[in-house]
Amino acid sequence: MEKRRGGIFNIRCAVNGGKVDREIDSSRTLLEFIREDLGLKGTKEGCGEGECGACLVLVDGKAVNSCLMMAVQLHGKHLTTIEGLKGRDGGLHPLQKTFMEEGAVQCGFCTPGAIMASEALLRENPGATLEDIKLGLTGNLCRCTGYEKIISAVDKSRDSK
Amino acid sequence: MPNATVVKPANLKALWKLLPSISPKRKYLAGGTDLVTRANAGLDTAEIWVDISDLKELRGIRETGTAVIIGAGVRISELGGSRLVSRWLPVLYAAIPHFASPSLRNMATIGGNAANASPCSDGACALCAEKAWIWLELKGKRRKLPLSAFFKGPKKTVLKKDELVTAFEIPKWKHVGAYLKLGPRAYFGISKVSVAAALEMDGGRVKTASIALASVAPVPLLARKTADYLAGRILNEENARTAAALVKAEVSPITDIRSEAAYRREMAGVLLERALGRIGRRGENL
Repeated sequence: MEKRRGGIFNIRCAVNGGKVDREIDSSRTLLEFIREDLGLKGTKEGCGEGECGACLVLVDGKAVNSCLMMAVQLHGKHLTTIEGLKGRDGGLHPLQKTFMEEGAVQCGFCTPGAIMASEALLRENPGATLEDIKLGLTGNLCRCTGYEKIISAVDKSRDSK
Repeated sequence: MPNATVVKPANLKALWKLLPSISPKRKYLAGGTDLVTRANAGLDTAEIWVDISDLKELRGIRETGTAVIIGAGVRISELGGSRLVSRWLPVLYAAIPHFASPSLRNMATIGGNAANASPCSDGACALCAEKAWIWLELKGKRRKLPLSAFFKGPKKTVLKKDELVTAFEIPKWKHVGAYLKLGPRAYFGISKVSVAAALEMDGGRVKTASIALASVAPVPLLARKTADYLAGRILNEENARTAAALVKAEVSPITDIRSEAAYRREMAGVLLERALGRIGRRGENL
């Protein structure tokens, strides 16, 4: 761990279904906790100001920008990162499959965040229309693939469920 | 990256007990969407953040016989799922899709939105039109004031050192409403101008009106003259046009990176006319 900036906090939470109980630097963002303390590198840092959505994860099933949440705020809650998404057979999640099939991935940097936002949307609204999908992804920027393929991947995943 | 130590009192009582023992360079941390953004940019100098995001005393939406009470720690997305909000607060309810993005709405609290005192705040603008009161507490001592009197300027409020926003009290009054926002894109943009209109109707006639605007004054603005004009008048195109002209005289926009003063002024009128038109057409369909 790098030099501790803040006080120590004992965090107890669940990460991708497993219990975590450890002392952390209280000034860590959730994103730093995920990438540096837990070593889960699927979650990305893009803008660091909540605009791009590359750092989206689920906390208690709701999408949040992990760059703007403090790790301390995860205490007592459930975290799901892209590494925790699985299909029913333990393989790829339907969204991961349709993102591949539709070519919704180019450089891939925004993909984990876009998939987590889509997962949150479809959990809350399994019958999401194309308009709902567009609105659900307003907080996720993609600078190379464009949005058509991402939206159709989410649409297809919804149909395949 | 943030430098502050984060402490997490278990409840309000523990919070008031804790404060004297920690650095005076402290701030409250709620949803984090403004504070952590500033810290990530190296712009926050507090040594301690007191995390209030999980305080039970600040949560929940409830009703009394005469008002809806929204805890300051309620997330914006929770407002969207509340029957009390959709039933009693049509302007606030209409503003929710315009508030940032779905994930930021899961984080941002309505109390933090007001305490941040941004002139472009969608939440504060809508709540002003709803005639909300804000509840404040300092070491167990409470006071309340009209939300419109809470703001002193951009990022400035009447909050005293350590004083906490605990809730909003919005009177139940039978009204219809609209929230229109003009930004750089349809959703997830910061407004160039927003208009929140709440009207108590008596058939086709406006009984009372409450109009608030964002991004066209140093604070969320209550357009009192425009509202007074509308009271008692038939809601038709001619009166909507006059109201639009009046509101253009009430705003005091500036030119900044987001828009120009003249454009904002003009659009304040256009959006109000559209909002009144929308409410009027809905009324005909009732």
